[in-house]
Amino acid sequence: MNIVVLVKQVPNTTDVKIDPKTGNLIREGVASIINPEDRHGLEAGLQIREKLGGTVTVISMGPPQAMETVCECLAMGADRGILLSDRAFAGADTWATSTALGMAVRKLGEFDLILAGRQAIDGDTAQIGPQVAEFLRIAQLTYVRRLDAQEGKVIAERALEDGCEHIEAPTPVLVTVLGALNKPRHPTVEGILAATSERSPVEVWNAADIGVKVQDVGLAGSLTHVVRTFTPKGARDTRRLEGSATVIAAELLEALRQKEIRLGE
Amino acid sequence: MNKIPRPTPEEMIRKSFARFTDEEIIPKAREMDEADQFPRWMFDKIAKTGAFGIRYPRSVGGAGGNTTQFCIMVEELARGSMSVAAFTAMQCLMGTNFLFEYGTPEQHERLLKPAIRGEKVASFALTEADAATDLANVKTTARPDAEEWVISGSKTWITNAPVADFFTVLCQTDKNKGLRGLDFFLIERDTPGLYVSKKFDKLGTRATEISELAFTDVRIPHENRLGKEGQGVGNLMRILSVIRVMTAALSLGLARAAYDQSARYAMERTQFKKHIGSFQLIQQKIANMATEIWASHLMTYTTAEMIDQGQRPLKEASMAKYYASEVACRCADEATRIFGAYSYSMEYDVQRYYRDCRFLLFGGGTSEILQTIISRECGVS
Repeated sequence: MNIVVLVKQVPNTTDVKIDPKTGNLIREGVASIINPEDRHGLEAGLQIREKLGGTVTVISMGPPQAMETVCECLAMGADRGILLSDRAFAGADTWATSTALGMAVRKLGEFDLILAGRQAIDGDTAQIGPQVAEFLRIAQLTYVRRLDAQEGKVIAERALEDGCEHIEAPTPVLVTVLGALNKPRHPTVEGILAATSERSPVEVWNAADIGVKVQDVGLAGSLTHVVRTFTPKGARDTRRLEGSATVIAAELLEALRQKEIRLGE
Repeated sequence: MNKIPRPTPEEMIRKSFARFTDEEIIPKAREMDEADQFPRWMFDKIAKTGAFGIRYPRSVGGAGGNTTQFCIMVEELARGSMSVAAFTAMQCLMGTNFLFEYGTPEQHERLLKPAIRGEKVASFALTEADAATDLANVKTTARPDAEEWVISGSKTWITNAPVADFFTVLCQTDKNKGLRGLDFFLIERDTPGLYVSKKFDKLGTRATEISELAFTDVRIPHENRLGKEGQGVGNLMRILSVIRVMTAALSLGLARAAYDQSARYAMERTQFKKHIGSFQLIQQKIANMATEIWASHLMTYTTAEMIDQGQRPLKEASMAKYYASEVACRCADEATRIFGAYSYSMEYDVQRYYRDCRFLLFGGGTSEILQTIISRECGVS
């Protein structure tokens, strides 16, 4: 089975600072990691390859330093890495990113399965996977927490808000995965030394390489623009109730009544 | 196609083993310490990363790494657990080095390759009751008898001995030749006449098991002498710099753990309505810890690089080990002062650093003998 895994390099913290002028994340001084759910996507791909054979190709779009993420995926066991890196890709929203990733997948040729994390911890949009599937006009299974692949199809369990869904889809198909799917392996020392050598199978593709017009990717190709990013003010009016349980209960009820919060009939 | 440089292997090894330590070791470090036994499951997890083969070529199942990379790896492991780092270092270096260098192809297939895969545990037996720093006083003997060697004597303070599958043992082959009458021998655990004592009850590194070995007319094949006759100590000297710089890296890992926890705690703990990090005497401790750790780092990795360039920097490696191990002890001590009474509680990791750091003072040479060696290397003896 030929598997493509989409990965993103993200800052290693949920406590990132935002540049008040540009609204962009300040990445300086923050260590970068593979987006956690993408690691689970890669692990799923490696396990399927071990079961059915085939290849695992990783694609990441990002600045030159995202080379580290692609190499880490190779060190974990991916066969080939593609880094989409071009100034033309900068400032892309999810639409423009999906366009670039979709074109890169097309350039790779035939594939059976695309895996991606549900969402990245720096944007939380959960849009890339579905948009790439739409771009390529293939089926998509999102929020997958169990996955079994067989020749010609995948069988998945999707986590829903009120339960789960067992679903089967023919390949080619795109699957976005949750952290509950598996436990990602650690890179091996041998894998690290091979991945960081100049002979490691990593290619860097730019906009021309994947055949996109520069106006269709990056900031120019984005349908959305971030107007402002801010942290919502979480100031809450907190009042501490003290005394016996009866006193606290009475005061609580009175406070709720004053706020006109109905407690049922 | 654009050319974008790859990250260096050193960067990736540090990052990868830092995550391994954060995800796999630190959450279990206290549990392993309290269980007071060799955690085979952790040994197996480390084996899956290929760590045990980091120094060895691919021809024997290794990764072809260098001393710098080896030091980075054990430093990160030591940040999580000195016990885990210690048994990993034993498996990567002392326990397997002589088998790799001087073993037969058959021994490589049967013992070395499985050890690199983590299927067999290796150990190294040098110390005796009256011979540690003073190797010329080794009394365990190996005498030839027909096509075999007959080993008699005992060893003590043998890391991994209770769980090891094979041992590299220093024996006296000619007592008239002093240090030139010593050789290493490969002895497998199930050899008749080999007795492994019960494990020692120790202050620290409690998840690494240590015990004594006794040899009563243990007969081993002729090819089990590892190295040419009389060259045991000479061959040991060839890796002594690696052993010492590796111990410096272990020390660095522990010092960093003590420092990290201290710096965090100093900003959390409040007294007199201020976090204690705002007090200058705490700041002094943090500043000294950070400075000494940086000095240890520079000494350790400058020396490792010299080894990777083909030098045998015994003086620098001795300095790095001496300095870094003393820094680890000072950092652990300062951490206990910053944590105050909480460092006296088994609920906090600081007490483990305080116990484990003492291990660093002995392996690879005591501070006292290292100072003697450094002075001698400086021409003053």
